[in-house]
Amino acid sequence: MNEHSNIILKTENLCKYYGAGDNLVKAVDCVNLAIKQGEFLSIVGKSGSGKSTLLHMLGALDNPTSGSVWLDGENISSFKENRLSQIRRRKIGFIFQSYNLIPSLNVWENIVLPLGLDNKEIDTSFIQDIVKTLGLDNKIKNLPNTLSGGQQQRCAIARAIAAKPSIILADEPTGNLDTKTGDEVMALLKASAKKYGQTLVVITHNEEIAQMADRTVMIADGKVVE
Amino acid sequence: MNMIFRMALSKLRYHKSRTLLTGIAIMLTTMLLMAIGTSGFAMLDMNRQLALAQSNYHAVFRLEEPGQLPVLSKHIQVESLTTIESFAQIINGKMNGSLNYYEPVKDGIYFSNLELTEGHFPEKEDEICSLPSFFERIGAEPVVGGKVTLSFRVNGKGEIQTREFTISGLLIDRDVSTVISDSRIVWGAYVSKALLTSYAEAGLYEADPTAYLRVYGEDMLSYDEIEDKINSTASDIGLDEEQISCNKEYLFTMTTPDTDTFAIIAVISLVVILFSTLVIYSIYYVGVITDVQEIGKLKALGASRRQIGRLLFFQGGIVCVFAIPLGLLIGYLLPYFLFPQVIRALNATALESGQLDHLKGLSNQLHMFSLPFLLITAAAVLITVCVSLLKPIRMAGKVSPAEAIRYQENTTDCKSRKGHHTVKVSTLTWANLSRNRRRTVVTMFTMGLSSVLFICVAAVLNSCRAEDLARRSIQEGEFRISLDYSHHDKEYPENNLDMLVQQDYFNESFLEQLSSIDGVESVKRAPGNILSSTDIESALYEDADNRLSLSYFTREDIPALNEELVSGDIDYDRMTANNEVIYTHAYSFDIYGLALGDVFPLTLHDGDREIPFTVTLTALSQPENYDALVIMTKDSWDNLGLTYDPTTDIYLHVNNAQYDNVKKTLQDIVAKNEHFTLYSLDEEMSIGRAGISLTKYPVYLILVLIAVIGFMNLINTMITSVITRKRELGILQALGLSNRQLVRMLSAEGMFFTVGTLFISATLGHVFGYLFFVYAKKMHFMSLTSYHFPLLETILLVLVLLGGQTAITLYINKKVEKESLIERIRSQE
Repeated sequence: MNEHSNIILKTENLCKYYGAGDNLVKAVDCVNLAIKQGEFLSIVGKSGSGKSTLLHMLGALDNPTSGSVWLDGENISSFKENRLSQIRRRKIGFIFQSYNLIPSLNVWENIVLPLGLDNKEIDTSFIQDIVKTLGLDNKIKNLPNTLSGGQQQRCAIARAIAAKPSIILADEPTGNLDTKTGDEVMALLKASAKKYGQTLVVITHNEEIAQMADRTVMIADGKVVE
Repeated sequence: MNMIFRMALSKLRYHKSRTLLTGIAIMLTTMLLMAIGTSGFAMLDMNRQLALAQSNYHAVFRLEEPGQLPVLSKHIQVESLTTIESFAQIINGKMNGSLNYYEPVKDGIYFSNLELTEGHFPEKEDEICSLPSFFERIGAEPVVGGKVTLSFRVNGKGEIQTREFTISGLLIDRDVSTVISDSRIVWGAYVSKALLTSYAEAGLYEADPTAYLRVYGEDMLSYDEIEDKINSTASDIGLDEEQISCNKEYLFTMTTPDTDTFAIIAVISLVVILFSTLVIYSIYYVGVITDVQEIGKLKALGASRRQIGRLLFFQGGIVCVFAIPLGLLIGYLLPYFLFPQVIRALNATALESGQLDHLKGLSNQLHMFSLPFLLITAAAVLITVCVSLLKPIRMAGKVSPAEAIRYQENTTDCKSRKGHHTVKVSTLTWANLSRNRRRTVVTMFTMGLSSVLFICVAAVLNSCRAEDLARRSIQEGEFRISLDYSHHDKEYPENNLDMLVQQDYFNESFLEQLSSIDGVESVKRAPGNILSSTDIESALYEDADNRLSLSYFTREDIPALNEELVSGDIDYDRMTANNEVIYTHAYSFDIYGLALGDVFPLTLHDGDREIPFTVTLTALSQPENYDALVIMTKDSWDNLGLTYDPTTDIYLHVNNAQYDNVKKTLQDIVAKNEHFTLYSLDEEMSIGRAGISLTKYPVYLILVLIAVIGFMNLINTMITSVITRKRELGILQALGLSNRQLVRMLSAEGMFFTVGTLFISATLGHVFGYLFFVYAKKMHFMSLTSYHFPLLETILLVLVLLGGQTAITLYINKKVEKESLIERIRSQE
C-alpha cells in the first residue's frame, strides 16, 4: 500500500505561540505528524505539554501561528471560518473531556445535532445502531443533566460518530470517568471507530489506553519526542 | 465581611456588562423619579409665582346691597379691599368687552393687569384707561390725552349710549396673538367714579360692585381655615355662599401645596418604581441563574446562606453608590435646564396672555430643589433595589453545592424532553427558550408591560388633540357661521332669537351666496334652536330668564347619546309619541333639582307664533356636541310645523387650498351682519393647542423614558443569554455551527421576544390603552374627546424593537467573535 495515499491528516512545521518576548510560550513547536486512514493514534504527554492545542489545530478549532494542517489533501489552515465550520461538521467528530453536551437538547437531539447543522438527512437506522451499540437506547429522550458521566460521554461519542466523519478527535475522553467506566467507554470508542472505519486520535494520560492504540506519540514542551 | 465585600467588588468587575446594565437601570430609575419630582416642584413654584403675579386677593364677594360695602371695609377680618364695578358692555362690532370702575378701598391688593405704564386712572367723567392694544383695536391712537368714541350699554341692557372719552392712562399691554379674532378675547377698559355717579343719578345705572378682599392671617392659616374666615365674613354682611368665590389658585399655592400635582407625581412615581423593580429584579434574577455554578462552589467552600445573601446585597449596594447620585444629579439637571425651555415653547402658544410677561421673567428663577424629596428619592430607589434582590437572594440560598458541579444551568425541573427527530437552528432556538421558561416569561412580561404602558400613554396622548377641542365649536367642516342671539332682551327684543328667525338671515339665497364662494365645497345647516318658556315655577327657567332654547336629535345620534347616558333610557319612537325629551347637562340637572319624569308645559316661540308644547324629561345624557340643554326627537321637532327657519349655525366645508381666501371672504360677509360670528378651524385649533401643550410635553418625556427602560430589559436579556451561553455557543461552533447559523439562532431568539412583546402590545396594549383613555376622559384629563388609535406610535415601537434587536444581535456576535473558539469553549462564563 502506498504510504502517502493513505495519509488522511498531516501537519507541516505546525506552530502555535502565545504572547511575545519574554512571555513567549511555544505551546506547539514545529510539529510534523502524519496520520493514516483508519489508524488509532494516541497522544500522550504531561499537563501543559501542548497536546490539547495540537488536537484543536488538527480539528480546525484553532488557527496555527505558522505551519499547516492537511486534511484529505487540503491545507485547511488557509480556509475561512465558514469553510472550517463545514469541515468540522462533515469530517471531524469531537469528544471532549467534559462531554460538552447541549443542556437544552435531549440525547437524541445532541447526537443528530451535527447532521442538523449540515441540513443532512438523518440515517435513522445508522443512528439507532450507534445508540444501541453505546447502550443509550432507553435514554434518548433524557436531558443530559439526568445522565451519569459515563452515559454523557457515550452520548458525546455517539454525537462524534453520527455524521460519519473520517476522523474522531478525543481530548482525554475518560478523564472524568472512573476506571471501569473509562475502560468501557474506550472500548466502545475503539470498537465503533473500527466498525465505521474512522481514524481515531486520542489524547490521554492513561497508559492502558495508550497501549490500546496502533501508535503513540509523546509530546513534551510542544515538540514530538517520539 | 471584608472578604465578602472584596468578592462582591471583584464579581462586579468580572461581570462588567451586567454591572453596567444594572447601573444604568438604577440610574435611570433614580433619574426618572428625581426628574418627575423636580418638574413637579418647578410646576408648583411656577403656579405659585403666577398666582402671586396675577393678583393676591383671597376672595371675591358679589355685593347685593349698597350697605354691604361700608360694613365690609370696616370688618375686623378684612386686611385689604378693592372693588370693581362692571359698568357697561362695550358695543363695537364683534368685540367682547366691558367698561369697569376700579377702586382700592383698603390698600394691599394688586392686579397684574391693572398696572399703569403711563398716565393715571380716570378721575373725570370723560376719562378712560385701558391697554394700548384695546385702543388700537377700536381704531384710536393709544396716547394719553387722545380721544376715543365708544358705544356701550349700561349694565349690559338698556339703550346704547355713545360717548367721547379722553385717554387718561395706559395699562401694561398684553401680548395677544393676532391670529385670534376679537370675539374670542375679553377686553376691559376703566372709567371714572364720576361717570358712574352721573348715570346712577339719572337712574340709568344700578351699582353692582364686586369686592376683592384679603383676610388676615395668610401666613399662618391653612386653606380651610382661610376659607372658613372668608365664609364667616361673608355671612356677617349677609352674603350667601353663592355670592362669594375664593381665589383658589392663589390660596392653594400660598397655603397647602397643590394636592393635584402631588397626586399625579405620586402615581407616576409608583408606576416608575413598580416598573424598575421588575427590570432590576429580572437583571438580578438572570444574574443568579447564571451564577448558579459559582454560588454552588462558594457554598461547597463553606459560604453560608447569609454570606451569599450579603454578597448579592453588596453587589447591589456598590452599584447604587455610583448609580444613585448620578441619577439624582441628571434627574435634577434635566428639568433645571429643560423646564424653562418648555415654558418658552409654551409662550408661543399660550393664550392667557396676562401670564405671559411673568412667565418670561420667572422661568429662570424657579425654585425646584427640595432636599427632603432628594432623600426620599434615594431611599425609594434603595428600597426598590433591595426588593428586587429579595427573590434572587432566596434563590441563591437554595442553590446546592452539588448542582454547581453538574451543570451550568440547571433550572428546568424536566428530566426529559420530547424533542425532534432532526435538529435545525430553529430547534436550538426553541430549546433554549423553553429551557428556562420562567426567565422567558419574566422577560416577556416586563417587556410586554413596558410596551403596554407605552401604548396606553401613547393612546391618551394621541387622543389628546387640538382638533378634537376645535371640533367642539366647529363640529364639521372648516368654518361655522353662528347667529348671535339673546334669549330675552327686553330693551332690544330684536336681538332675541324669536325675532331674529323672522329676519330669515340664513335663507336659501344667503346659503347660495356662501356656496358660490370660490373654494367652498358645501354649506350645511346645523340643527336649529327654538326658544321656550313656561308658566310653572322652575329654577331652570328662572335662571334662563324664562327663555330656554330647545333643539333636536336624530335616530343616528342615538348611539352617541346612549354612550354618554347618565340615567333614563332613549327610545326614539316612544319619545316621539309622548313628547319626551333628553336633558344634556348632568351638573345643572342636579343644581336645578330636576328629576326624570318632570313634566314641563311649555310655550315655544316660533317667531311671532306661539306653540303650546308639553314635554316630559325621560333621559339624562351628556354628549359633547349640544348647546341646547333640552333636546327632543327630530320627528317631534318636525311635527311642530315651524313657520320660520330655526337655523342658528351653518357649517362650511372648504377646499384646503383656498382656505385663506374663503376665510377672508367670510370675514367680510360676517362683518356686514352684527348678528353673525365666524368660527374658523385654524383659530379654534390654536386655542386648542394652547390648552393641551402644557400637559402634553411632560407626558411625552415620560413616554420616552418608559421606552428606554423597556428596551434596557431587552438588551439585558439578550446579552445575558449570550454571555451565559458563551461556552455552549462555542461547542455548537466546534460541532460545525457556522457564523451565519449562529446569528440566525440569536436573531430568532430576540425575534421571539420582539414578536411576543408586539403581540402583547397590539392586543393588551390597545385594550388597556382604550380603557385608560375612557378613564382619563371621564376624569376630564387634558380635554379628551375621542379615541385615536396610536398607529404612528405603534409603528415606531415595532421599528425600534426590530431595529434595536438586530443591532444588539450583531453587536453581541461581533463581540463574541473576537474571542477564539478555544477560549470560548474553555470559558467558565
